[in-house]
This record gives sequence, structure tokens and C-alpha cells, in this order.
Amino acid sequence: MLARRIKPMALQARRLYVELMFQVMGRALQAVSEVDSDVQAEAQSLPLGFLFEMMVMPNGSKLIIEHLGDGRFEYHGDSAPRPIDLSIQFKHVAHAFLVLSFQEKTSVAFANDRMLVDGDISYAIRMTRILNRLEAFILPRLIASRAVKEYPANLNLPEKVLSAARIYLKVANHFVDTVRA
Amino acid sequence: MKNSYYEFFCPVKVIAGKAALEHIPYELTGLAAKRPMIVTDKGVRAAGLLEPVISACEESGLDIVTIYDDVPPDSSVAVVRDIAGIYRSAKCDSIIAVGGGSAIDTAKAVNILVSEGGDDISVYVGAGVLKRPLKPFFVVPTTAGTGSEVTAVAVISDPQKSVKLPFTSSFLLPNAAIIDPRMTLTLPPHITAATAMDALTHATEAFTCMAKNPLSDAYATSAIKKVSTSLLTVMNTPKDADARLELAQASTMAGIAFSNSMVGLVHALGHATGALCHLPHGLCMSVYLPYVLEYNLETIRGPLGELLLYLDGPDAYAATPAARRAEASISAIRRLRDALYKHCKLPRTLKETGKISESQLDSIAALALDDGSIMFNPKEVTLADAKAVLKRAWA
Repeated sequence: MLARRIKPMALQARRLYVELMFQVMGRALQAVSEVDSDVQAEAQSLPLGFLFEMMVMPNGSKLIIEHLGDGRFEYHGDSAPRPIDLSIQFKHVAHAFLVLSFQEKTSVAFANDRMLVDGDISYAIRMTRILNRLEAFILPRLIASRAVKEYPANLNLPEKVLSAARIYLKVANHFVDTVRA
Repeated sequence: MKNSYYEFFCPVKVIAGKAALEHIPYELTGLAAKRPMIVTDKGVRAAGLLEPVISACEESGLDIVTIYDDVPPDSSVAVVRDIAGIYRSAKCDSIIAVGGGSAIDTAKAVNILVSEGGDDISVYVGAGVLKRPLKPFFVVPTTAGTGSEVTAVAVISDPQKSVKLPFTSSFLLPNAAIIDPRMTLTLPPHITAATAMDALTHATEAFTCMAKNPLSDAYATSAIKKVSTSLLTVMNTPKDADARLELAQASTMAGIAFSNSMVGLVHALGHATGALCHLPHGLCMSVYLPYVLEYNLETIRGPLGELLLYLDGPDAYAATPAARRAEASISAIRRLRDALYKHCKLPRTLKETGKISESQLDSIAALALDDGSIMFNPKEVTLADAKAVLKRAWA
């Protein structure tokens, strides 16, 4: 009886967690593009105004970011100003939860057919590298190692801590600005 | 490296063996198709490979309505549109692709247009656009390597926009793949070797990359065994129909394996090299395979060691300590490449190809990093890693 009551709550909590993580990741993508030169170098080859979406099929949570040029991103929340250029779509909220709770690496999720790519595959590969770089910065090494295929060997602790602090500060400011707006 | 989840899909009826072509009329009739069109290229026609297909149909009272034999090596949207026009004006109701990768991909794209309507194939670009089955479609491969007869992908170039358009849908898969040893009996040694190495690479990467699964493993190991036991037999006695059939089946099985478990860095480098230096795909696979396996070695030691059984046989497997089997697998592949070099000068290094300059390696590495296959490589590949592999493969 208790289990039957708890299950819908657990599913609702999972949905809310995925939604919250998309909001954090969207803001963190904008932040990391402002602080990390490697991410900027990766993003620079994306077309100006390029719109990237990560979403849960069919109409679930989503994050949308735009490339403003020079490798800088802007987070647009869950509404796009124009048609999306590249969309990475989780087939189910359960699959998004596996990835966003770091139980399954992004690359493993691709290999397991949890996600679909709609758009230029080379840009999807590039965005995945950027997501990996972000996760390596903002997650403790033990958790980041579960999220990315290989933890970057050249990422030393001072650089990681400093960059993570700047990213989290920017994310927090963005949340505050959103609430104020 | 084992996955706790996987998907496997291959609805293609495989019709393989002696007199397989003679099954085409029966299979077409089973799909209510009476007016087939053949899509092929000039080389296939010149080699006399159409005659057995046509006579097999005519003997059963099934006439080939029209033949398009001008598919270029790098097919374009214009070619697809033209063939679709011929199909419609001749009132055909089915397609038989006879050829290698280009003829098969072109026929897949033509099937989209004649089934869904329109003249612009670019409308259907991408994954999951097609929502229903297409016209009856058969494939008769004339090379033993690409595995295109069992893959749900077609790539067509758009020269005006200088892009390659990928089409992905399970509806692109043919109703049947007809594997008949007559179709590869006259394949020249150099192409036989390169395409067989392509099949070996498909199977090896399918078995060692991230999306490996128990079903694709079964196809991959069987394909590797067939290539390693039959390739040199075919090189020594090209008219050996049994060995030719083994290679053709290996190609199809490797195609089923890699289309369900994807490929890795060998293909990423090969695609980039093909795009920048116009080297044949199979040749690139043969060159890169051992160097990429060495690069991935510590992440794939287990599965690569298992492959020794299929690459070098049970005696060598039993005689090799478990800890040395992965290296022994790479050595077996190197020995096979050396033998092919002896037979037909199939290059073992980029330098031996004579078509690449060392200054192009950095561009190849950069392009390879954006290739879709790299996602499934078991090891995360950086630009420096890709350059290092290319440097080792240079000479």
C-alpha cells in the first residue's frame, strides 16, 4: 500500500530532478564558455547563432543554448527563438535521469541507444566533448569519472577548483537574475 | 566493457550460396513485384556481372524492365533524381541494386523518392524521417566488404552545397540480400584484399567498441574467422567459389555486427582520410586497424585477446598465455597485412599508399575528432592522441 503511494512521488521527484539538472546545466554551459579557453576553442567552430537543444522526448524538460560567437554560449531556458539546429533527445525521462544522475556516461547512453541526434552529427560530437569538459570541472573527480568516458589527465586540482568556483558563482548569479526578472 | 542494455535489429532476409541469384524471381513474386529496375555501375556491367542476374530472372519469366548502369563512385542528388525519373516513366515496382557501396546507397536513396514521392532527396535527410515501408528492394553485392546490404544508412553527396547527405532509417534496409559467389569471382586481388580488410575491421571494431553486445559479438567473431581462414585462400586461388562465398558471408555478417554495435577510431580516421585524401575506404581500414588496436589496447585487452581464437585458430589461442593474447591478436592482423602486401602490394602504412603527404596528418586528425564513430571508441580520443596514431601509421 505504502509502495503504491510512494511510486508516483518518486516518479515526480525524478521528473523534477531532470528539470532542475537541465536548468543547472544550461546555465553552467553558458558559464563554462565564459571561463574556459578549451571550451571556447571547441565551440568556436559552431555557426554563429547555432541553437543547441537537449530534451526528453516527446515534450519533456529541455535546455536550449545559443552560440553567440567566439565560443560563447547563452542559455535560453526551454524556449527557442528560432528553429533548433541540433537536438539531442533522450527517449524517456528514465534515460535522462540515468545520465544526469551520473549512473550512465553520456557516451554509454549513446551506445545504449538512449538518445537520438537530430542534426549534424559532427556538432553533436563537439557538444558532447563540451559537456564532458563541463562535468569534469563542476563534479568531484570520483563522480566526474562516472559521467565522462575518461577524466582529463591534464586537469589539475587548482585549475579545477578555481574554474568550478567561477562556474558555480555564475550559475548562482544567473538563477538570482532569473528570479528577479 | 559489457553493456547491461542493448538493441539488435536486422530484418534483412539473407539468401546466400550457390545459385542464390535464381531465388530472386521467387522472392520478388512473394512481394507482388513484377517490374524490377536494376541500379548498377559501368564496371559491374563491363565485368559481365549483370548477365547471371538478368538470365536468372528471365528464366522464370520475370523481365527486368529497365537498367540504370551509370552510378558514379560518389553518387549525387542529381543522379538519384534521374534514376527515380526513369523508374517512374518505366512504371517499375521494385529495385535490384547490383554493385558495391555506391550503387547500393544510390538505390536506397532512389527507393525513398519513388516510394515517398518528390524529386528532392534532401527533404528526407537525417534519422527517423521515413515512417513507412518503401518499395520492394533487393541488393546483390559485388564486393565482399562494405556490408551495405544490411545497413540502414545511405550517404549521397550534394555537390552544389559541397555536403554529404546522410539518410538513416530501418526502412532503407533491403527486403533481401542475395550473396552469390559468382558475383565476386572476378574481383581483382587488390580490391578483394582491401574490401576483406574492411569487413575484418567492421567485425573487430564491432567486437571491441562501446556498443558491443552478445548478438553482434556472435556475428563479429564468425566474420573474423571466415576472413582469417579464407582471405589468403582466395588470394592464392581467386576462382575458389567456396572461399569467395566465405568472404562474401563474412562481409554481410560483419555488416550486421557493426550496424548494431557501431565502430570506432579506425573508422573515424578512415572517413577523414577518405574525405581529405580520397583513399579507398577498405585500404584506410587495413592501414589503421593495428595502430588503433595498439592505441586502445589497455581498454580492450579482454575482448581483443578473445579474438585470437578467431584470428589465429585454437592451437595458437591455446599456446598463448591469456595475458599475451591481445598482443598476439594484433600480431596476427599484422601478419595478414604482410601477406596481402606480398600478394598485391596492399599498403600497410600511409607512406606506402603514395597518396598522402605527412603534412596532411594534422588535418586528418582534426577532421577525425568530429566523426560520429569516435563516440563509440572505448578510449576518449584527444587531438594529440589522433595525431600520435597517425604518426605511427605513417611509416
